[in-house]
Amino acid sequence: MKRLRVLLVDDEIMIREGFKRLFDWESHDCEVVGEAADGMEALSQIDVLQPDLVIMDINIPIMNGLKVIQLSRIKHPATAFIIVSGYDDFSYCREALRLQITDYILKPVNYEEFGNCIDNLKISMFERRMEEQPVLQEERPINGITRYLQEHLAEDVSLGVLSEEFHLNPQYISQLFKSEIGVNFLTYLTNIRMEKAKKLLLSTALSIAEVSEQSGYEDYRVFTKVFKKAEGITPSQYRRDFLEAKPEERGKKDEL
Amino acid sequence: MLRMEIALFLILVLVAYIYFSAGKKHTPLHKTFSALLVCALVHMVFDGITVYTVNRLDTVPLFWNDLIHRIFIGSMIVVIYLFYRYISVLVEEEAGKIQQGLRQASFLFLVAAEMGAWFLPVEYTITSQGNYSSGVFTYICYAAVAFYLLLCAGLLIVHRRQIDHKRKFAIGAALIIEFVISLLQWLHHTWLISGMGITLMTLAFYLTLENPDILRAELTEQKMSMLYLKSQVNPHFLYNTLDTIRIQAQLNGDKKVADLLMQLVDFFRLSVKVDRSMVTLDDELELLEAYMELMCYRYPELQCSYDIDPDLGEAQVPNFILQPIVENSLLHGLKNKGYRGEVRISAARTEDSRMEICVRDSGSGFAEGKKAAIDDMLRHYARQAPKLTGNSIGILNVQKRIKTLCGREFGLSYTENEEGGVTAHILLPLKEEGR
Repeated sequence: MKRLRVLLVDDEIMIREGFKRLFDWESHDCEVVGEAADGMEALSQIDVLQPDLVIMDINIPIMNGLKVIQLSRIKHPATAFIIVSGYDDFSYCREALRLQITDYILKPVNYEEFGNCIDNLKISMFERRMEEQPVLQEERPINGITRYLQEHLAEDVSLGVLSEEFHLNPQYISQLFKSEIGVNFLTYLTNIRMEKAKKLLLSTALSIAEVSEQSGYEDYRVFTKVFKKAEGITPSQYRRDFLEAKPEERGKKDEL
Repeated sequence: MLRMEIALFLILVLVAYIYFSAGKKHTPLHKTFSALLVCALVHMVFDGITVYTVNRLDTVPLFWNDLIHRIFIGSMIVVIYLFYRYISVLVEEEAGKIQQGLRQASFLFLVAAEMGAWFLPVEYTITSQGNYSSGVFTYICYAAVAFYLLLCAGLLIVHRRQIDHKRKFAIGAALIIEFVISLLQWLHHTWLISGMGITLMTLAFYLTLENPDILRAELTEQKMSMLYLKSQVNPHFLYNTLDTIRIQAQLNGDKKVADLLMQLVDFFRLSVKVDRSMVTLDDELELLEAYMELMCYRYPELQCSYDIDPDLGEAQVPNFILQPIVENSLLHGLKNKGYRGEVRISAARTEDSRMEICVRDSGSGFAEGKKAAIDDMLRHYARQAPKLTGNSIGILNVQKRIKTLCGREFGLSYTENEEGGVTAHILLPLKEEGR
């Protein structure tokens, strides 16, 4: 797991300083390699520095953040983007999601919680690596473990269960997660459970309690809490927001 | 027949009294209606007098009889013209300006008709059922009615798509009434019912578009939108500036100030964000917690505790009901004790499957007689004039919203605690979503 190279884009120097000095990049295996204050500068910095991750404000001079992402996608498809914006506005959010950004967070940024975004990013990068790997290559233990977790996430899985299943020392498995993905076991498990829950919420009509059970939470109250912490809204709000937004989106497509 | 004129006159006097005593905005529409009312009153007076004089042709001098008839017909044409003006203002409000030519034509016609009313010779027809004026003179009157009614009907038909349903109905009803009555008057000259048509037409507009409730609602709406505009400081400017200050504070090593600013921004964002009328109890509590944490920091001896049944987290409640109640407890209960004390917020399911949220404070309690006043205000919430300032605006607003959103059997009430302080009880239906 190599260090992530990060580019900060925001027109306010204070916001960039805050990110640089108040978030513990070191302990998250990251390094801030550059900064940009406007859209053009951001584009050229992405070209020159080729960062793994760009922290991007939407409302910046010359060219807005969404446009920058759209343009740099062509040249640098692997670059991840986290949008940080003061615009608490769902339409921006939707447009951003269409650009397949990693995350969308609102100002004011809580630096303690920002770590979760980095963890999510690492997990999605890991999953992409898994997909791109040639099938023939000899399978590494972490691939088997994560596949097992994906299939058994509704059950009560723990390091102990994994250790029995794969005949490996629990500490070793824990270290594997840290070194291969960059996050600890529990973070990974919670992340894939939340992804599963989101999928179920949007694609099925299952009740919250059923979604909770199928995502590995016996108690739906615990599930609701974890979900809210991860997504900022409750499961039912999440479902409502997206289902309400859909007809509009359909309208937009028709116009195009 | 004179009795009918007197009755109609009294009805119009009553309408005019109520109308002029109600507060209203000074729009062209209301001004036109005011003029219409005054002219209709004058017209009714002369209507009554002509009914009296025309049947006493031998005792009343001809000159006076003619003069009164001329005023009667002249004022009637003005009234009909004002009806047309009123309807055209209504249509203009909905559909934008109508043709300038039409306006001039209608005014020219008014002048021509008035000339006719004043200078054409008046003739009288004497019958066994009563007398009436006749000849070319009266055709002016019918021509004016027909002309303006046709103009109104034309406006209504041309702009039928743009006009609001309620207004369309009011105009249509008034036109049909006036048309039928004029037709009857034309066929039976001795009936003398033109005054009835005018009164009914005025009443039709008064009841549908100009009554005091509607006027008051318009006035309140205007004041509310002023208040709303005042509060339109761009929220993003506020968040962004606060955030800059927060980061500077944290860079300077002041974590406490940074946390407080974070809470403040959270509170503002949550309170601006909510655009639904119903939210989950969890959302409502989140907003309240952000508020209480700031208050507890400002007043370190203020305590706050929560006892929420976790099953109720997803229950639907009207938005922004808890913070005003708690704020009320702080300002009227705990402030008097130097903000020393506790606010306890609890939410539980009642035996009959409803939800009760209690806000219990250990403040100074109600002053003498205050409890009865609050109880009375909350019980007769609907009768309270919409207040825009004052102490109880918050809780009255909460009460009104609960009653309209959830039903009359729910709402807010206060009790006194044995050990001092008061408890606000919010009774709500239990509707859960997603399960």
